[in-house]
Formats: sequence, C-alpha cells, structure tokens
Amino acid sequence: MANVNVVINGIAGSVPAGTTVLEAARQLHVDIPTLCDHPAIQPIGACRMCLVEIEKQRTLQPACTFPVSEGIVVKTDTPATMNARRFVLQLLFSERNHFCMFCQMSGSCELQTQAYKHGLDSWRYDRAFPVLPLDATRQYFIMDHNRCILCRRCIRACDQLVGNATLGLKHRGANTMIIADMDVPFGESSCISCGTCLQVCPTGALIDRASAYLGATAEVKRVKSTCTHCSIGCGTELVMRDDRVIRIEGDWTAEPNHGLICEMGRFQPLNDKRAPVTKPMVKEADGWHETSLQAALERVATNLKTGKVTTVVSGLATNEAAQIIAKRFPGAKQLMEGQAPAVTSSPLKDMDAADLFIVVNTDVAHEYPVASFAIKRSVHLRGARLYLVGDTGDSMQPWTSRSIQEAQIDALLPIIEGAQNPVIICGKKGEALAMKIAKVVTGIKIVDLAPAGNTMGLVQAGIRQQFSANGFDTCYILAAEAQDAPQELLEACAQAKFTAVQASYKQPWMDIAQVILPTPVSHLKCGTFVNFEGKTGVVNAAAACNANGEAQVLEQLANLL
Amino acid sequence: MTKVLPDPAKRAMLLTALYIAQEQYGSLTPDALERVSARLGISPAQVYETATFYSMFRTQPAGRYVLQVCEGLSCYLADGAENLAAYIQNKLHICPGETTTDGLFTLQMVQCLASCSSSPAMRVNDTLYENLTADRVDMLLDELRGG
Repeated sequence: MANVNVVINGIAGSVPAGTTVLEAARQLHVDIPTLCDHPAIQPIGACRMCLVEIEKQRTLQPACTFPVSEGIVVKTDTPATMNARRFVLQLLFSERNHFCMFCQMSGSCELQTQAYKHGLDSWRYDRAFPVLPLDATRQYFIMDHNRCILCRRCIRACDQLVGNATLGLKHRGANTMIIADMDVPFGESSCISCGTCLQVCPTGALIDRASAYLGATAEVKRVKSTCTHCSIGCGTELVMRDDRVIRIEGDWTAEPNHGLICEMGRFQPLNDKRAPVTKPMVKEADGWHETSLQAALERVATNLKTGKVTTVVSGLATNEAAQIIAKRFPGAKQLMEGQAPAVTSSPLKDMDAADLFIVVNTDVAHEYPVASFAIKRSVHLRGARLYLVGDTGDSMQPWTSRSIQEAQIDALLPIIEGAQNPVIICGKKGEALAMKIAKVVTGIKIVDLAPAGNTMGLVQAGIRQQFSANGFDTCYILAAEAQDAPQELLEACAQAKFTAVQASYKQPWMDIAQVILPTPVSHLKCGTFVNFEGKTGVVNAAAACNANGEAQVLEQLANLL
Repeated sequence: MTKVLPDPAKRAMLLTALYIAQEQYGSLTPDALERVSARLGISPAQVYETATFYSMFRTQPAGRYVLQVCEGLSCYLADGAENLAAYIQNKLHICPGETTTDGLFTLQMVQCLASCSSSPAMRVNDTLYENLTADRVDMLLDELRGG
C-alpha cells in the first residue's frame, strides 16, 4: 500500500496508508500511553487512554483505532490530551477496588504505571467499593474481578489468538463482568489453561499462583528460551529472580508460536509434583543410597564396558547430549518416543493460510496444543473447515465440520481436492494416511509433527532407530523428565542385568534401575533443540551450565568409557 | 454437515436466532442459549454476552405477560407517567424485574419504545399500548387476566 505523510508532535514521517495513529507514532518513536491495546491483538479503542488531538477532527480521537491519511497532523501531549487521560484514569480507579499496596502486580501493573506517569495522587471521585467475587477455581491462576479494568485483552486473546473463545462479558455498563462460557466458574469452563489471558492482562486481575508476590518487573530478569515439551518448539521467556525461574511466558517475537504457549509449556514445568532426582543414586542390597557423581559414573562405566548395551534417549534430551551418546557410547542407540517424520513437514505458519484442515490420527489439542490454536482461530475467525480422521480425541469437536473413520477417507478426497489451501496435520500414526491423501491431492501441505520435543535433533545426531526390547543386557536411559515411559521399555530394562537412568524425577526409574543420575528439567537445561520444522532453538538455562548439566554428565561418563 | 461461515456472518445471525429462541423457550434458558451456540457455531460465552447485553432478551423465566414500561425522557415527562410504574407496582405487588406469584405478569423498566408523541407507553409482550392512564391500565390488566 502507498505511503502517506504524517506529522506527530512536529516529527514528520512516512508510513503505509491504513496504519493506525498509534502504530505510526511507535514508528516515529513517539510514546502514546495505552491500556487496552496489545500489539498481538486487534485494537478496540475501549480504554480511551490513547486519546490524541488530530487536526480537522472535532474531538479527541483514540490513536489505537484511528487510521492515518495523507497530511494528518497529530499532537499527543497537549494539555487537552493529558487532562483527558487523567480523567480516564480517575474513572478507572474509582470504579473498582484498585489498592496498589495490596496487589501482587504492584510494580508490574500497566494501570499503576500510567497513574504514576500522569501524576494521580488522590481519588477525585467517590469510590463505589463494589463487592466483587474472586474466582479461584482454576488450578494455575486466579481471576480477581476487583482489579479488572474491562480492557478485554483476555477476551480478545482467547478469541483471536487461541481461538478457544472461552471468555466473554455479561451485562452492560457498570455491571459488566468478565465471564467464562455461560457465566460458569472458570475452573469448570471450556478453558484449556494455556494462560494467554494471564500473560496479556495489564493489571492484577489475573494472578499466577506460582509467581504471585515473587518479584515485580524491576526485580526479575527475562531470559529467552525454547519450550521442548512437544516438537513445535515454542519460543519462551523465563522470568527469573535470583537464578530461580518463577514463571514461563511466551515470547511474542518468536517463531513459530508468536507469543503463544500451552499448559505443558507454561504451567506444568513449574507445578510438577514428582519427586526430583537431586543427587546421583545407587541401588545396593539394602536399598537406594545417595553417592558422589564420580562413584556413580564409575559404576555405570564399568557395566557399559562389559555388557551388551542399548542406550535409549528421550526426545527431551538436548542435541549436545545426543551427540555425545551417538559418538562415544557403545552399542545400539534408540529413540524412546518413536521415529522422526518420514515427510518433510510444512512449517506451522502455513496453517494460518489454510481453508481446510484434515487432522489424521492425532489428538492435536493435547499432543500439539499450539498447532490446535492455529486450527481453532482459523475455523473461528476465517471460516476454515476442520475434518477429523480416525483416532483424534474429543477436544476439537466444537470446531469440527465432520468426523470420519479412516476407511471412509475416499469419500473425503473430492472435497479435499476442491479446497484451495488444504493442510493435513498428523503425527507418526497419521503419516501413512497423509501420504495416501497427498498422492491423490497434489500440492497438499502436510504438517507432520515429531513424536517428542527433540526427536529431529536426536535423528540429526545419528540416533534413528525406534526402541526395540531385544538384543541387550545392559541399558542406559536418558529419560530427562519424560512422563510416560513405554511399558515395553520398563519391562525390558527391569529384566536386564544392569540399568542406569539419567532422569529429573525418581519414578518410575527407581523400580527398574541400579543407578540414577540427575539431569536438569527442560527449562533449567542449557543446549539446543531442533523442532519439527528443522529450526534449531536455544534452551537458555537460567543457571549457568555447570558440571551437573545433561551433556556435562555424559561427557564425564564418556571419558570413563 | 454444518455449514461453517466466517465469524461476522455468524454474528449477524445471532440477534435473530436469540429472538426466535426466546419466543420458543419463553426466556433464554441455558438450554436455549446452548442450542443457539451449537447451531451457529458461536462460542457459548459470545452468545451469553449478547443475550445479557440487550434488555429485550431475558435469561430468567418471565410471566405470561411481560409489562415493559418505558422510562425514557418523554414518558417520564408525560402527565402521570412517573406514577404509571408505581401504580402497576402497587397493584400487582411486584418490583421491576419481578414476576407475580401466579406467574401471569412480569414488570420491566425499559428505555424508549419510540412512542414519544403518545406517551406514556408500555409494551405487553409484542403489543404496544400508548397514552396510558391508571384506568386504562386497570382495564388492560383485567382483560389479560380474563384471557
């Protein structure tokens, strides 16, 4: 689109026509205060904090929704705009119960920041002191309606980014309240606990249980990292205080997730209640004992040198760990969760251009939630269609046009051929059928997701085989924090002469192993991962990579072999 | 197969669908709202949002006759209008938003009914009554009770 000339606070610039005044101001490095605006979601002009003076406009206009036109002249810091903003803030502060000194967001709150900036030191209007409920029915975060300014960021994020549309409003005017579904408790709603609403909330209305009161913006640092809990490999930000990760957020600038992460990436890592492995442990005749790393490694090395060894690696392991195992360990090296996709996958961003989704034999909502967000928002906002084929779980049902069995696929082919931009989403179990469809429908895109976070990285390191229970008497398992170890693996290793496990959590490994070595959980690791698109992500551990790191322990072990 | 439409088109149908559901169910019960949500493919929250925003939609069961008394400016200023709501309240022993124990009448205060030239006005279900006086209200209520 053609550029137009704009002047904001006397600064001249040229921006594409249709740009909003707020975006234009940001490009010219002019600061306009906002509350309801968020760069990732559509502006609605609800809060009126961004009111500016525009020449030839009778009244002040909201910068976030006003498009620029040729020759537009904007002033953002006149007495009239400052008064208007102070008035807006006074109304916001008088409406509900905003008492900053008791709020866990004090120091991080956008409302409070604007109040300081605009010199609010007292209440001009009587306060209503409404008695509003606090909804603590959700596991990971709390909704406190008292702190809510009805900016609707949470509603819009749930609607436009996640496509879940769980949140809404009830009533109107001063009685307006945020609701979930048809005004049910949040914990009983269709919420999928992705926490995107929590991340966009500008005030203390949505409170993260785990990190509440643990640190305001100035007291924490943010470290960019990568989530490794599924093969999408979302960019994250670790919010850290004193080398402790207090919260995990999505990184708005990261591919392929653009700020979105799911329950697995945001909440579960910090709420894992399993007993952690803190020290190397060995099993003696009288039970388990903690020991020194050196003693444990020596015992493992002795066994690895004499036995018929198979090493099984979880997709939660780093590339660096995988390379040491591939190059320096004896015997077979196998994948715990399954093999890499046979198809070169289309990138995740292709999903936002699709008009027809075919999910094949994959419970996409649970295995790859961020991919399911792309489906949901496409169906919800763009009218794309979703077909479920085979075993796909129930969670996508409200977004589905049609569910069919694998055998009925032939009936679907003409419809797929008629679509402009069809995309198949599958994992290992759906691959065969996906390729069958691709043979008929030429040019169809296949998003083929790997079975675990770093399967692609392990394969690149040279670990390609699927786990098989035969041909070994000594077993080394790099399990990391894997939850669901295959039963076959547990049984085979329980039978083996010797089993050593490098894991973050004690169970189920204490039942089958003779030595357990510690390894950090994903968000405390340092190293690299490769996602299903083949993109390498860096996992930046918060703490320095010390001798107890995953690859570091393996290095020491390899030196003894 | 449900036809999936882009969101604005679905939303455009929502008001009409809610109106029809209210006619069929008497009020917009959770059951009615869920049917609208499933039929149009709009999330339950967004359907509930619209249903609670407009005063002509009811989420609570109402009496057989819903008396919607205008409290707009013209009706407010019209002779006797201020007393109209009070008169009905005293006569039926209900406050605005309440239903008589026999389930016959619900009283509701609403904004302009577009009858400013013939105020005060009241809407009973789908019928508009204008130039109301206490006597006319008595006659009307008796007639409704009889029928």
